[in-house]
Amino acid sequence: MADKVKLFVNGQEVEVEAGKNLIDAIGAIGIEIPHLCYHPALGADGNCRMCLVGIEDGRPPLVPACKTRVAEGMKVQLDAEKIKKIQRDIMELELINHPIDCPICDQAGECKLQDYYMRYDGKPSRMTVKPVLKAKHMDFGCGVVHDQERCVLCARCVRFTRMITKTGELGIVNRTDYARVNIFPGRPLNNRYALNVVDLCPVGAMTSRDFRFKQRAWFLTNSPSICHGCSKGCNIFIDHNREKYKDDVIYRFRPRLNEKVNGYFICDQGRMTYKLENDNRLTTPRVGDRDAGFDEAVESVRRAVSQAQKTVVLVSPNASLEQMFAVQQFATAINAPLSGYSDGYIKQGDGDDFLIRDDKSANRASFALLGIDATKAGFAAAVGGADLLLSFDNDLSRSLSEAELGQLLATVKLVMVTSSQTECVAKAAVAVPVASYSEDSGSIVNGEGRLQRYEVAVVKNQPACDLLRIVHLLGGEVTNNQEARVGLQAAVAVLKNIDLEQVPAEGIALTESEVAHVAA
Amino acid sequence: MQVQVLSTRFDIPDANKIEVAKQHGAYATLDKVFAMQPEEIIELVKASGLRGRGGAGFPTGLKWSFLPKNIDKPVYLAVNSDESEPATFKDRYILVRDPHMLIEGIIICCYAIKSHAAYIYIRGEYTTQVKVLQAAIDEAYAAGYLGDTVAGHDYKLDVTVHRGAGAYVCGEETALLESIEGRKGQPRSKPPFPAVEGLYGCPTIINNVQSIGSLPFILTNGADAYKAYGTEKSPGTHLFGISGLVKKPGMYELPLGLPILEVIEKVAGGLRDGRTLKGVIPGGSSTPVLTPEEAQTVTLDYESMAAHKTMFGSGGIVVLDDTVDMVKLVENLIYFYHHESCGQCTPCREGLGWMLKIVKKIIRGEGTTADIDLLTELCDNIEMKTVCVLSAACTMSTRSYLNKFRHEFEAYVTGGAPAQAAM
Repeated sequence: MADKVKLFVNGQEVEVEAGKNLIDAIGAIGIEIPHLCYHPALGADGNCRMCLVGIEDGRPPLVPACKTRVAEGMKVQLDAEKIKKIQRDIMELELINHPIDCPICDQAGECKLQDYYMRYDGKPSRMTVKPVLKAKHMDFGCGVVHDQERCVLCARCVRFTRMITKTGELGIVNRTDYARVNIFPGRPLNNRYALNVVDLCPVGAMTSRDFRFKQRAWFLTNSPSICHGCSKGCNIFIDHNREKYKDDVIYRFRPRLNEKVNGYFICDQGRMTYKLENDNRLTTPRVGDRDAGFDEAVESVRRAVSQAQKTVVLVSPNASLEQMFAVQQFATAINAPLSGYSDGYIKQGDGDDFLIRDDKSANRASFALLGIDATKAGFAAAVGGADLLLSFDNDLSRSLSEAELGQLLATVKLVMVTSSQTECVAKAAVAVPVASYSEDSGSIVNGEGRLQRYEVAVVKNQPACDLLRIVHLLGGEVTNNQEARVGLQAAVAVLKNIDLEQVPAEGIALTESEVAHVAA
Repeated sequence: MQVQVLSTRFDIPDANKIEVAKQHGAYATLDKVFAMQPEEIIELVKASGLRGRGGAGFPTGLKWSFLPKNIDKPVYLAVNSDESEPATFKDRYILVRDPHMLIEGIIICCYAIKSHAAYIYIRGEYTTQVKVLQAAIDEAYAAGYLGDTVAGHDYKLDVTVHRGAGAYVCGEETALLESIEGRKGQPRSKPPFPAVEGLYGCPTIINNVQSIGSLPFILTNGADAYKAYGTEKSPGTHLFGISGLVKKPGMYELPLGLPILEVIEKVAGGLRDGRTLKGVIPGGSSTPVLTPEEAQTVTLDYESMAAHKTMFGSGGIVVLDDTVDMVKLVENLIYFYHHESCGQCTPCREGLGWMLKIVKKIIRGEGTTADIDLLTELCDNIEMKTVCVLSAACTMSTRSYLNKFRHEFEAYVTGGAPAQAAM
């Protein structure tokens, strides 16, 4: 447990974590100190002056909370009229040159300036002179659009490019109320994390070209999930909405704090994988070259399996632990070799030392847990003499060249249970749509061996069947996640002492120490 | 009234040359200095009562004693010659007329604070000054007063001149450090204070040119000789820059404690004929203005200024007569501070621009009484909410004009410009 200190907030004694600044320490027990420039990942800058608080008997009596560490016996004044007036005054000054274009601003609804105005100011404008005019909708590169007039010059974006990406594309130029965030001429944002500045921006100054003008923030449902863009397993919010008469659509991914995995950020590449959940999805089952009903398609797969001399089952490295287990049980039951061959999901050398990993699949680590072979040699041996290849969402066209794939499919009939219209689907004899991870729930293990859980985020008007159900319909024993988890615990030693139904928010590292700790 | 403590060599031709300066006593005190322990020098400077001549008047010796003891990091001296406060023109005389006094002072200070590197931060507009100063430093290196063995003693000292780019805010000590480090000149949040964590994260003492320039006299003649000038709590002499509407504006060295009106009358030649006094800015544009009545009892020392709710500041006295339009003066004042705001923190960045626009509106004849009240309120809303005191320099002074000359603002609001012609 972290050390605690006792201090007084508005005369009330409270106990908070030691070593933190006032904003974080007091914020953790539910008392808000308004702030614009401070961000836990970027440290205190002290420029917005919104977090000024009084320290009774203190020297100096007025301090920025972001730069002030909690101390035993400290008497913090937040509700004194003096402090409330400072908050009002700072808000007034932040707003005099702000365009107040909330009706057309994407940030509206999740804007600190808007929220703080309602909470701490609420006074009509006294500005009777012309405001400072600055540049609008500037293309900063990497899909970031900047509006200098909305900017409060908190410098979070500038500090992000200096401290986190260390690329330093952004700076504040000029002085006084002509100060503005800008790029160097001809040197736009050029890093793989640039869109985080949109999340970091407390106001509507940084917007995403991809998301702009698509949805109002208050219509979006923010569902927690795990990014499947690579094996890092970054925690995200899936922001989605079902507009009237339309389908549930994902509009963006946003990073969700997990200190143990991704901190406050995600990469741009992963952020954009939301499109894969929306677009190019297989929605209608297909048998031969015609559309078919779901029952008919499943029946034809069952028939194909029962008629085949040798069936090979292929599973995706993106499948959840539960799905992999169900597929493995099924393959064993029908006496078919199981492969996880998916070399094409790995982009050698693409990863970095921050969040991006070479392996563009989310759950390859579970292959090792379940003993699923994923080697090319293993796959080649398995398909030798086979006449049916049953692929559960594994896109072979990523791992095999067109020639190799053609050669394979010359003798082997391909059945695809797939969430999206991949190249392989066209070559398959039967294609059955399946729910993607945003529409399903399950557990995945990231490249660092951390087990995490995601739940259903999106419910389509015509939901695709989930993979466990399809495997069951084909003859598999497992019918749902709960059953799979019971089976997993019996089958996999490292999972024995973990309550798979209660995975903590930060996940569990599948290492001796942490597993033991959770079990205790 | 005038004395010569700092300005002894000011009128000697070519005193900026090392041979001439040495003939008249420069560097003569160094043997005595190196025979002393650093702590003894600090005690001597404390005993002299020397107070920081940059404007705040903080005791110099006390400042030095804030350096952490037994540290393994280097200690730096930064000499502040960013002299940018409007109406202030004292340090430039030292830089041009007696740079060797400054260099000698730097050697004394660095020896006392155990520093081996000093930076002189000089404002960008001082082109002549920087040339003369650099030439003097080169001479001092050649003569062995700077470098590996200062004046033949086992003590190393390097002095580097760093030119600013003309920002007023770089006279704020932490913005000055940022600028030396090559970053945008924006003040740092304090704490940590520079004596603990200053230049390149190391303990740093920042002193004004005139403070450093006073050291050779104190070391040569002793604390009592220095305290013979001035008052008990404000000892010594000061280079006063007297400007404004007087017959003989200029730089005059005077002991502290003289009555301000007597100085204006006897030293600066008094007001122009037929004019009456309207106000006095006592120590640079940021110090609150004094009315003629207040000026009656003000003496030129830190305590008297504080008692009259103004500040001694930088010794830049501006004399205002009845031709001065106080509203336009305030416009000029806010224009300057707005222009020089670094733009880092909200109140100063946004507030000073708003204040300027309100004053302009009043001058255009479009203002209302509410605008005057708003201006007054903004002074309160901005002051002391900022990282540094630049905004306070603007608001403290502006508030004094609004309080003491409100009728002039009201005249603009109610019926066009007042009777006075513009300055």
